Amino acid sequence: MKPATVIGFLGSTLDAAKFGPSRWNKWRPTVSICMQEDLRVDRFVLLHGTYHQRLADFVMQDIRDVSPETEVVPHLLDFDDAWDFEEVYGKLLDFARSFPFDPDVQDYLIHITTGTHVAQICLFLLTEARYLPGRLLQTQPQRGQPQPVGTWAAIDLDLSRYDSIATRFAEASAESTSFLKSGIETRNTAFNRMIEEIEQVAMRSRAPILLMGPTGAGKSQLARKIYELKKLRHQVSGPFVEVNCATLKGDSAMSALFGHRKGAFTGAVQDRPGLLRSADKGVLFLDEIGELGLDEQAMILRAIEEGRFLPVGADSEANSEFQLIAGTNRNLMDEVAAGHFREDLFARLNLWTFALPGLAERREDIQPNLDYELERFAEREGMRVTFNKEARERYLAFAESPAALWQGNFRDLAASVTRMATLCPSGRIDRAAVDFECERLARLWSGERAEENILADLLGPEGVAKIDPFDRVQLAYVVETCRSSASLSEAGRTLFAVSREIRTSTNDADRLRKYLARFGLEWAAVTG
Amino acid sequence: MITIDGSEGEGGGQVLRYAAALSLLTGEPFTIGNIRGGRAKPGLMRQHVTALEAACVIGGAECNGLHVGSTEIGFRPGSVTPGEYRFAIGTAGSTGLVLQTVMVPLMLADGPSKLVIEGGTHAMAAPPFEFTAKTLLPLIAKMGPRVTATLDRHGFYPRGGGRIVVEIEPAPLRPIECIERGAFERGKVDALVSGIPFDIADRELKAARKVLGEWPEESFAVEQLPAEIGPGNALLIEAAFEHVTEVMSGFGKMGLPAERLAKTAAKRMAGYIASGAFAGPYLQDQLLLPLAMAQGGAFTTVRIGRHSRTAAELIGRFTGREIGFSDTPDGAHLIEIR
Repeated sequence: MKPATVIGFLGSTLDAAKFGPSRWNKWRPTVSICMQEDLRVDRFVLLHGTYHQRLADFVMQDIRDVSPETEVVPHLLDFDDAWDFEEVYGKLLDFARSFPFDPDVQDYLIHITTGTHVAQICLFLLTEARYLPGRLLQTQPQRGQPQPVGTWAAIDLDLSRYDSIATRFAEASAESTSFLKSGIETRNTAFNRMIEEIEQVAMRSRAPILLMGPTGAGKSQLARKIYELKKLRHQVSGPFVEVNCATLKGDSAMSALFGHRKGAFTGAVQDRPGLLRSADKGVLFLDEIGELGLDEQAMILRAIEEGRFLPVGADSEANSEFQLIAGTNRNLMDEVAAGHFREDLFARLNLWTFALPGLAERREDIQPNLDYELERFAEREGMRVTFNKEARERYLAFAESPAALWQGNFRDLAASVTRMATLCPSGRIDRAAVDFECERLARLWSGERAEENILADLLGPEGVAKIDPFDRVQLAYVVETCRSSASLSEAGRTLFAVSREIRTSTNDADRLRKYLARFGLEWAAVTG
Repeated sequence: MITIDGSEGEGGGQVLRYAAALSLLTGEPFTIGNIRGGRAKPGLMRQHVTALEAACVIGGAECNGLHVGSTEIGFRPGSVTPGEYRFAIGTAGSTGLVLQTVMVPLMLADGPSKLVIEGGTHAMAAPPFEFTAKTLLPLIAKMGPRVTATLDRHGFYPRGGGRIVVEIEPAPLRPIECIERGAFERGKVDALVSGIPFDIADRELKAARKVLGEWPEESFAVEQLPAEIGPGNALLIEAAFEHVTEVMSGFGKMGLPAERLAKTAAKRMAGYIASGAFAGPYLQDQLLLPLAMAQGGAFTTVRIGRHSRTAAELIGRFTGREIGFSDTPDGAHLIEIR
């Protein structure tokens, strides 16, 4: 058992009393600490101001009576304003740094019942930060009768020492990691460990996070989940702003990111706040950050470091406090070496770097993700689709085999599920549908990216990027059907075969024309 | 090596004091576990640590596990060294009880000692200084050693800060028989007040007089002590007989009416007087150890308390000496050391 040292303020109000025998009927926290039967104080470092010298002397004398075991060491600490947080914290920090603490041979109790509330808060903070290596000591008067001794309690701020609190933290943390995984029970150990780490970083840090990984590995979804988790925990109040830097090519990039003032250039007919400003107090997700130009990189760096940037054509800087999450599928290190990416920005981003493995490296997670995708389809389409047992086994056998390359990762899986579910009007995916789909996937990965290619030819890569993956599958199928049909009407009849049966008069051709028009397409362009 | 369960019998500080004193006297080490096991705050409290530290200092003993809150200690005695010692007890812990721990070993040492003990002199759950000076020490003198105690300064609860000085002139212990207390000589009731309203003393004396009505007027007196040692209040009731002087006491505390305190103390004295026994409860506890070391003796006493049963058992384990309890024909009890 180590000797105990108490460090505490003289309470200019609580410790004060009439200088007569009646003071012994009053609860005086500093004296009461030394009157506890079950607490032996070997040393009491009594912090007090010059102004309260007389009270300090008096209290020290009383401590000697009730506690001859205690050596009282007065320590002068004058504040100009004991309610000024900056001053009190600063002076207590100086005290803590100069005090020869030796926690190996002494127990320290930091008394927080006396002193101004600001002083108590500062003692608490310094104890929590381990500048004061001890436990907090609280004293309080006994209820009922006036009585000088009162009670005491020592509080260890090491929360891991409290079983019930530790259990609750573990539960909350498990909840958060599950949240980050969208509730998918992933089995891949490396992935799960990474998510746990991301959870801790998300809860404790505002520093930028860099998510690396191939296209479709789920960077964007994870970034959004991190944002939602931070929002749930009240760590951000602003919005989630997401942008793919590949779409920010050319002159408009600066203006899109940093905003512009009205009249800054031709076409700048009104003020534009820009994405950084929009993300104020929220999260900015810059996907494919490697695509960003060097000028934009420099501006981004300054915005991260100082929270300030200059909108195009503006005279004064704008402010934005945002947390940055960056995504990349390139090796940024190589980009730095090639001079395409600023080294200083990379250094700033490279604090919390997480490499998301592709689906092919997480084959054990395909099954839970398959269920998740079916669930998503049901939510989106209002229709529940299931596999029959044989079909499911067959699909998983293929999906988990080395033959399945999963080049597009989760995007491929989502598209695959969407295809199978869409093409099974009965709501039941059977063996035949699975076989067909497996062939299709195999073909896709062998280099014939059928639907992507069809659409890219028609709309260009930028046009495709604007279409939901969900719609891409459908559109590609529609285009294929059109091309193999003699007329718009024939294609319409094929595509709407089921509803034709039910409805008596339907203009399938018109329905198809309107569908194509939604994507800016017409019959001639599709078939021509 | 003797092993003691600290929660048995009296189950408190007395077990510790007796065990430490007996260990110093017999040279037998002991361990005690489950210290104060049944109490609200188990383990050693500060005054127990101080008492055991005092035993270690005078007896060259080693004690491991000795700290506040400890529930297990091991005590290995060395040789008792007489000399000048100062012990200070916090929380108004009793000076008389620390003295009880070290007095008998020093009485049997090979030279005189002088002790200055600071702490409570008139505080709850312990006999007042006057018991030590007027009841116990005259009997010790009859057994051989000369022990004198002077009160330098009163120490009341909660402040403590009192001081007694005890001088010990060792001598071999002779057995004594304390069967008859002899004729009543005089009674005395003192109400001590310090730093509290004077009328509290008056009210206490008035209430005591109702119970002890046969005692003459001049037996009742107020003693006003300097206010700066207060606040404090004690009612001391002494009955001097031919062979013994008994002291009963009551200590004032917040919320306890003066009348009730005085009535309780006075009734205790009236009960003692009516019993015809030699020793009251505190003397019963404190006389056992010197008689055991004198290897004989006997005394009559009021109802046998748990303290005495516990003390007798510990004495038996350390010395092998048996202590007999029996009833006397007049309704009192007889304790014999065989």
